[in-house]
Amino acid sequence: MDRVKSLASAILRDWMLLLGLLLLATVFFMAATAPFFFPQPPDTMMGPPLQWPGQYPGAPLGTDGLGRNILAGLFYGAQISLLVGFASVTVAMVFGILVGAFAGYYGGWIDNLLMRVTELFQTIPQFMLAIVVVAVLGPSIQVIIFSLAVVSWPAIARLVRGEFMVLREKAYVQGCIVVGMSDRRIIFTQILPNAMSGVTVMSTIMIATAILMESALSFLGFGDPNVTTWGTMIGMGKNNLRDAWYIMTIPGIALLLTALALNLVGDGLNDYLNPRLRSQRGQ
Amino acid sequence: MTKTPTSSTFAMSRRALLLASGAGLAASVLPFGPLKAQQSGTLAMCVTPEPNAMCAAFNTASPVTVVSGKMLEGLLSYDFDVSPTPALATAWEVAEDGLSITFTLREGVMWHDGQPFTSADVQYSIMEILKQHHPRGRSTLASVTAVETPDAHTAILRLSQPAPALMYALSGWESPMLPKHVYEGTDVLQNPANNAPVGTGPFVFQTWERGSHIILTANPNYWGEGEPKLERLVIRIITDPSARAAALDAGELHLAGDGPIPVNQVQRFMDSPDFQVDTRGTEMNNSLDMIHTNLRNEHLAKLEVRQALMHAMNREAMLSVVYYGLAELLTGPIPETLPNFYTADVPSYDYNPDRANELLDAAGYARGADGMRFSLRLIAPTVGDTYDRMGQFLKQNFRDVGVDLELISADIPTFIRSVFGEYDYDLTLYPGSVTADPTIGLQRFWWSKAASQGTPFVNSTGYESAEMDQILEEASVEPDPEARRDLFVRFQQLAMTDLPILPVARPIYVTIAAANVENFVPGPDGIRAPYGSLAFTG
Repeated sequence: MDRVKSLASAILRDWMLLLGLLLLATVFFMAATAPFFFPQPPDTMMGPPLQWPGQYPGAPLGTDGLGRNILAGLFYGAQISLLVGFASVTVAMVFGILVGAFAGYYGGWIDNLLMRVTELFQTIPQFMLAIVVVAVLGPSIQVIIFSLAVVSWPAIARLVRGEFMVLREKAYVQGCIVVGMSDRRIIFTQILPNAMSGVTVMSTIMIATAILMESALSFLGFGDPNVTTWGTMIGMGKNNLRDAWYIMTIPGIALLLTALALNLVGDGLNDYLNPRLRSQRGQ
Repeated sequence: MTKTPTSSTFAMSRRALLLASGAGLAASVLPFGPLKAQQSGTLAMCVTPEPNAMCAAFNTASPVTVVSGKMLEGLLSYDFDVSPTPALATAWEVAEDGLSITFTLREGVMWHDGQPFTSADVQYSIMEILKQHHPRGRSTLASVTAVETPDAHTAILRLSQPAPALMYALSGWESPMLPKHVYEGTDVLQNPANNAPVGTGPFVFQTWERGSHIILTANPNYWGEGEPKLERLVIRIITDPSARAAALDAGELHLAGDGPIPVNQVQRFMDSPDFQVDTRGTEMNNSLDMIHTNLRNEHLAKLEVRQALMHAMNREAMLSVVYYGLAELLTGPIPETLPNFYTADVPSYDYNPDRANELLDAAGYARGADGMRFSLRLIAPTVGDTYDRMGQFLKQNFRDVGVDLELISADIPTFIRSVFGEYDYDLTLYPGSVTADPTIGLQRFWWSKAASQGTPFVNSTGYESAEMDQILEEASVEPDPEARRDLFVRFQQLAMTDLPILPVARPIYVTIAAANVENFVPGPDGIRAPYGSLAFTG
């Protein structure tokens, strides 16, 4: 009976992972094919403004207040969302892993210093810090990626530090030290691969968070006005909420599904990479 | 009435409310829910954005003038045709030679602190405050050499040369009278009265909760008979246009002006029986949307490029898409609302992308591989979604003629620093007020001597024309109305020939009030009026 139950839950989890991957693949497909389906830039005023979905042949999902094709905006917006999500988390991971690894491996005053620095960042609310960075450096897509990396790295650093503190006491690490392996080699070839599973799972969730934060920044007017993102589409549509709610709702749904996809993938990866759950599945 | 818990505010009777505010508890009983006018005599209006001071003598930012105008009064008030009417002065006479103006002051007027208002206050306000510290006063009052005070209720302005624009600049929100006894001998810029004004107006300053609201209460000693009709004026600060529309809908706001809500929602309020929408009340202000170029830019320095940009703009389409019909196109820098100065006889630039392309080709700019000739940056302050849409619209129009437009939106301090402090921009778009007289509101943008690095909202283009300077300088002192009109006709023609500034449109700013509010646009200054007569009907 127990075996049936665990099998069912494993399939259910796999099913959710599958759904997440499918949704994510769709977003990648939209980003990749945007210039193919819509040769004109997404901010082209291609038709009459405020056309409801299905009302105007050239724009199946309607046009916004300036007559721009909402479907084209969705496709090009996918590019920006993925770019911002992956780029900012990659930067945050590189920095967070370095800080966490050194702090966790060496301990002592290095650990103390690095952790006080991460705390400095963690005590400031993430979104406020992102707004401050963008407000100071001016809104452009590079600055937004930078600001999201700045607010994301401390969490990774904390996680990696914890893993390193546990793993460095393990016998195989002590063995490496005894045979005279260099610190750098131990950190990057011995400990880090074993610490990566948690980081991988966390990073998928962080990509979703970064995409949502980019949209929130754009919504508040801190986005790059020269690129079309789902957040700017929602922000530009908010004044039409009463008479043309689809302008906000359509990119909102795209955002929701993308964040959901990344969370499902993150959950699925967690199940696969967590040894205890893996052994359950193997029974 | 031993306790006044905030939660019971809405159930409190008018009497209890008065008692509470008398006891200094007004801030804790501020009613933010739907208000019943007959119960409280409290009217809620809003200003946008939050004012950064309370006294318009030192700061002429638009929201400051709204709040200041309720507490501080000027010598004159104005009719809808912008002719002067009595305020603190009951009579006035301009001498034949235009070199002196005699004001007879109203008797029995008291400052909010109980001191009498006299000609000494007029002299002090004009000579020591407005002439020294008012951003526009330095130029509008430049020719005032002295204010004589033969008796307590007569003030004579002595002028070095005729100043025809001066009579349009004496309203309470433009040139407020301040109490000499409060300011004399102090550091006027740091005087606490700047944030808690002592005036003669119908409303007395009570509290300013930054980021939330300002409360003004009725002046019991006001000179206007039966005025003010309200007991209290709550001025709320709501930064988001959609939120202001929602607050009006919910009955949390009774009155909002200066185009307070998203333009696409105005029609709904016009159609609703619960609201009144008035398009008057900007005759003194005449805010214009114009694109100021930077002639230091190598491309924009060429006249053909500026002409091409004018031809590239589809301003007819802009009217409906960007302004939702709530604007009038400009033929030149003076709007049709100033018929004494306006002329249609100027070089005009229709929407003609072909012509624009020809001009740019002729200027030597071939299209590159990506179809673009060169790129320009457009910086606009984040003051409303109209400017966001306008930027996106211009980007399209200019792309069609091969000019790549990069949009930069900046908060107001950044915008002022870039445009007026560092001249670090190519094109900029912001509203500029003509006021009721072009000498006061327009000269600053075209006159080369108005340019002063670091001073906001003056000539930033780098435009210098001896002919233009001469026209403007002559017009500022020409006492004969006909001759003055001719000078301004020449001004408009030259401005549209040289095109340092590309006029776009005059937005129509609506004032919206609940159906039971009366006298909310009593004059040409709209919500900047003192509002002694503002009241609820029935």
